[in-house]
Order: sequence, then C-alpha cells, then structure tokens
Amino acid sequence: MKKKSSKYIGVFPLLSIVLLVIVLFSIRYGAVSITLDDMVSAIKKMTSGEQGLNLTERIFMEIRLPRAILCIFVGASLAVGGALLQALFRNPIVEPGLVGTSCGAAFGAALYFALGATFDFNVGEYTLPLAACLGAICSTALVFFLSQSKQTGKSSVVTLLLVGIAINALFLSGVGFLSYIARDPQARSIIFWNLGTLSGANWPSVIIVGASTIICLLFSLRYAKHLNALMIGEEEAQFIGVNLKSLKWKILLINVVMVAVATAFVGVISFVGLIVPHLLRILKGSDNRFLILNSAVLGGVLLCLADLLSRMLLRPAELPIGIVTSVVGVPIFIILLRKKNYFF
Amino acid sequence: MNKLIIYTLLALSVSACGRFGNEDKKKDHEERLVVISKQYNEIIYALGAEGNVVAVDVSSTYPPEIKELPNVGYHRALSTEAILSMKPTLILEDNNIGPEHVITQLKKLKIPMKQFGKYENTIAGTDSLMREMGRYFDKESRAEALCKKLDSDMKKALANTHSYKEKPKVLVIHFGRASNIYLVMTKKSTAGKLIKWAGGEMAVQGDRGMKQFSPEVVAKSDPDVILLTDYGYDKLGSMNGIADLPGVSTTRAFKNKNIYRVEEHDMVYLGPRTGENVLKLQELIHQDEKEK
Repeated sequence: MKKKSSKYIGVFPLLSIVLLVIVLFSIRYGAVSITLDDMVSAIKKMTSGEQGLNLTERIFMEIRLPRAILCIFVGASLAVGGALLQALFRNPIVEPGLVGTSCGAAFGAALYFALGATFDFNVGEYTLPLAACLGAICSTALVFFLSQSKQTGKSSVVTLLLVGIAINALFLSGVGFLSYIARDPQARSIIFWNLGTLSGANWPSVIIVGASTIICLLFSLRYAKHLNALMIGEEEAQFIGVNLKSLKWKILLINVVMVAVATAFVGVISFVGLIVPHLLRILKGSDNRFLILNSAVLGGVLLCLADLLSRMLLRPAELPIGIVTSVVGVPIFIILLRKKNYFF
Repeated sequence: MNKLIIYTLLALSVSACGRFGNEDKKKDHEERLVVISKQYNEIIYALGAEGNVVAVDVSSTYPPEIKELPNVGYHRALSTEAILSMKPTLILEDNNIGPEHVITQLKKLKIPMKQFGKYENTIAGTDSLMREMGRYFDKESRAEALCKKLDSDMKKALANTHSYKEKPKVLVIHFGRASNIYLVMTKKSTAGKLIKWAGGEMAVQGDRGMKQFSPEVVAKSDPDVILLTDYGYDKLGSMNGIADLPGVSTTRAFKNKNIYRVEEHDMVYLGPRTGENVLKLQELIHQDEKEK
C-alpha cells in the first residue's frame, strides 16, 4: 500500500492550485466580465459594511461567486460519490446514479414541474430541491429495500446493482410519463432540469450543499481504509475485521445524502461521478485514502471548467452543463483509456 | 491529443454558428431593451419602435431582421448573466419566461422588468395590446393604423368565410414528427382560432393547444388539408418525403395534394399580421372550392 500511496504525493497540492486558478477564471469570465478590481472592491465593501455595490459587484457577490463555490461542492460530491460506490461495488462502471439516486431526483423534480401547482405544501424556492431530494431518497431506499434477501436479510453487491438498474428504469419511465402528460412549458422545464445547470446558485444553496459535502467527505475518509481492505475481496475484508454489512450501509447512506442534496439544487449532471475517480486511478492508483480526497478536488476542477465552458461557448446564452460534461469529458476519458492499459 | 483538438474545434464551430454569435451593434445606446416575447417583438417592429431593442430570445423569429440581434437563449431556459451581459435598462417579458430562479435573481438585482396588460387571445385583445404598446413607445398613431389594418383584414376574411360553402377539415402538424408521433395543434390552440376564422375546422380536438398524436389518429382524422409548420416541412423537403410519413398518405389531403407549408410564428400567437395570415390561410384551405 505504501508504494501506491507514494504515487499520490504532490497530487493534492497540485490539484488545489489548479482548482484555485480555474475558480478565478470561472469568476472572471462569462457573459459579464468581472475584473479583479471589481472583485476586490466588492469584497472590501462587503467586509466594511459599506452600502452601494454597483451592478458588476453585485453580479460577482450574488451570482458568480456563489456559483463558483457551489460548483466546487457539487463536483466534489459527485466525484466522491463515484469513488465510494466504485470502491464498494468493486466495479468500474458504477456511478452515483446507478443506485437510483439521480433518477429518483429527476422524478421528484418532474413531479414538481408537472403537478407543482396542485401541491398544498410549498416552501418557496426550496420546494423544487426538496421534491428532488425526497425523490432521490425514496428511490435509493427502494433499491436498498428490494435488494435485501428475504431469507438472510442480507444484500449482495450484484443484487443491489441489478435492482438499481431496474429502479432507475422505473423512475425514468415515470419522468417520461410526466413529460408526456405535462404542458409545453412544464415539459421544457423537466428537460432542462435533467440537463443540469448551476445558474440558480445562491448563498443558501452553497451553505446547504457545502455542509452536506464537507460532512460526508469527512465520513468517507474515515471509511477509506475499510474500502481498501474490500479491494482484496469481501471474505478477506471480513477476515481482517471489516463489518461488511455495516460498511455497505454507511457508504450508501453517505453517497445518497451527498449526491441527493447536490443534485437537488443543480439538476442531473452526469459523467463526473464516473470519470473523476477513473482518471485518478488511471494516473495514480486506487488507494482510497488518497483517491477520495483527490476526487473531491478534481471533481471541483472539472465541474468548474465545464461550467466556465457552458457560459462561454454560446455567450451570452448558456449551455446546460450536463451537455458540456459529456461532450468534453467523454473524448478525454476515451483518449486516456486507450493510452494506458487499465485494470480496476 | 489530435482528437481532443478536433473535438474542441468542432464544439467551438457548432457554437459559433447561427444566431448565438450575433454582435451587439447598439453598444452606444443609453436605453437598452431586452425583449423576451415573440408576440411583443413582432408588435414592436410593426410599431417601428425597435431602435432600442438590443437583444431578444431565440424563439423570436419575426421579422427576419430580428435574427441579427444578439439572443439571450430560449425563453424558458434563460440565464441571468446572459440577460445582464446585454446591460438592459428594461426587460420586456410576457410572463412566459423561466426558470423561476432567473426571475428571482433579476428581481433581487432590481433590474427593471415590465409586462404589458393581459388581454384575451382574440382580435380585440390584440388591438388592446397593440394600443397599450403604442402608448408606451409613443407610437399611438402607428398602433391605431395597425389596429385598423388588422380589423379591416379580419372583416374581409370573415366576409369571405361566410361566402364559402364548404368547411374543409384542416390538420396542423407542428415540428413534423418525432419517432412517428405527431405534435398536432388542436381546436384549442391559436391555430385553431385562425382556421375557424379562415372558414375551416380543425381535424383534431384536444384539451390543450398542442397534443401528440399517433399516425393512426392522423389517418383516422382524414383531413382535407394538412398544414406543416416550416421546420417539419423543410426537413421533409418534398411531397415524396411527406408521403413517407406514416398515416398521411391515406388522407384526402395527401391524395388531393393539399399539403402546405406555414410559418410557425404565424400559427402560435396573434399579432398585427393575423388578418393577413387568415386571408392567406383561406387561399390555401379553400383552393379546391375555388377551382370547382
């Protein structure tokens, strides 16, 4: 393990610097250009309690800065979710969406768009994220419940994955049905939500997603050693003292909280959870103690980059970020896979 | 790495095409209007009040010169930054913009937004809207002229309608097709009103403006005339292409070659040219009766 760990030395500081640079670029450029002077003067005015921010300064403080920070947290959540599930399932094709989380969130959001006006319960701008989050939790809970064996009460990883695929299909059908019965503007909203966007970022969403990301990341790091043990096999891991059942539930719980909360605020963003852990494994190896932390940073880097592109490509209009993550991510991913013989 | 460069160049060239690369040619204007409503935009141009319009949404396609303005994206998927980058002094919108968070952000940043009054989707309602917009832009006499023209065209059209003996059954297909499922305009849509005024009847009912129909329903409706909106018609290219549409070739409309291209923007809202459009529709849907 020591040899693998040494590969990661220097990666975290390097990625952190890259993240900082990308975030600065992401804040600086977009449909509205924000200069360093604007940023500094806005921060000075805010910290000194001075009133009278001009429009550019307000765009920086109220739109661009929260968006960039939310981007880091969402990217980290999705990437760490992918790293955790790939390690738990010991399967390279797993991503957070595979246990039903993303499709459940999409179904919750679609339900809100199609039937929103008829809901008695309304918490203003949080109704949509709440509906998406509840959808994600319901679908993931359904996957866990249905994957448990009637006889033993245990669930194997393979059963869990297969049930996940089935429940995903079910909830996707639900989204399709709701899109079909919805009126034109509602159907459009469902489509756009499913392509993801960070344009709704604000400080409350940064605080909520940030808190969930940081707490879940700290818990994930705590179980990294156990996930490393699992890499040599379930029986072997149990033999050296890993409580497999408990570990499985904890990892799944961390994943669902982290991914559901992030997805609830920004919509479905595919590919980040799949590609980020892979990139790091291809380049640096599978030691989860380092992989999880670096996935968080690289997830932030990639999503900030994708968000910057989504705002720049059709300027002044904006592309949904889900399109960018796939169009840009897939070729990079394939090039790297073909360059290196890679085994999970 | 070459592939990566090719992909990147491809993405950039795709993004550069069409209306998304339009330059802001009114940078020196103090008053800057961003108008996110295709109906408002047509009226503004008809009033001759487009001087300070600096950007529009992508669905505003009439008159043709509007396509030279920068656009801020689709009206239901707007981005706050895209709108703000046009430095608007006022946003005109018709309460059909989204997503919700964009409206919240714009309000929070205190960007002035305005909607004109909500009028019935009728000729009288359109007159009222044009008059209100005329007052707002200080083009009252022009607005009055537009109303007069609309009313007189409508009068002429309705007089024609009374003289027609036949009431052709018309099917209006929007977008062409997707996996052989037709998006059809129903009796409840604006197109339904236009066809009624033109002396025809819609081939399909429905509880909302547009509905998806299977080829079987299209065949069963057996319209005398089929109107295909521009995108779908142009995509099919020719009558042979239209013949390949499932369910269409068995209809009377196809057998009598009564299939015509119509502009989408003329069928989905009422505006200063509605009277002219109804007269044009009469030419199309009553052709058989005239030839007899």
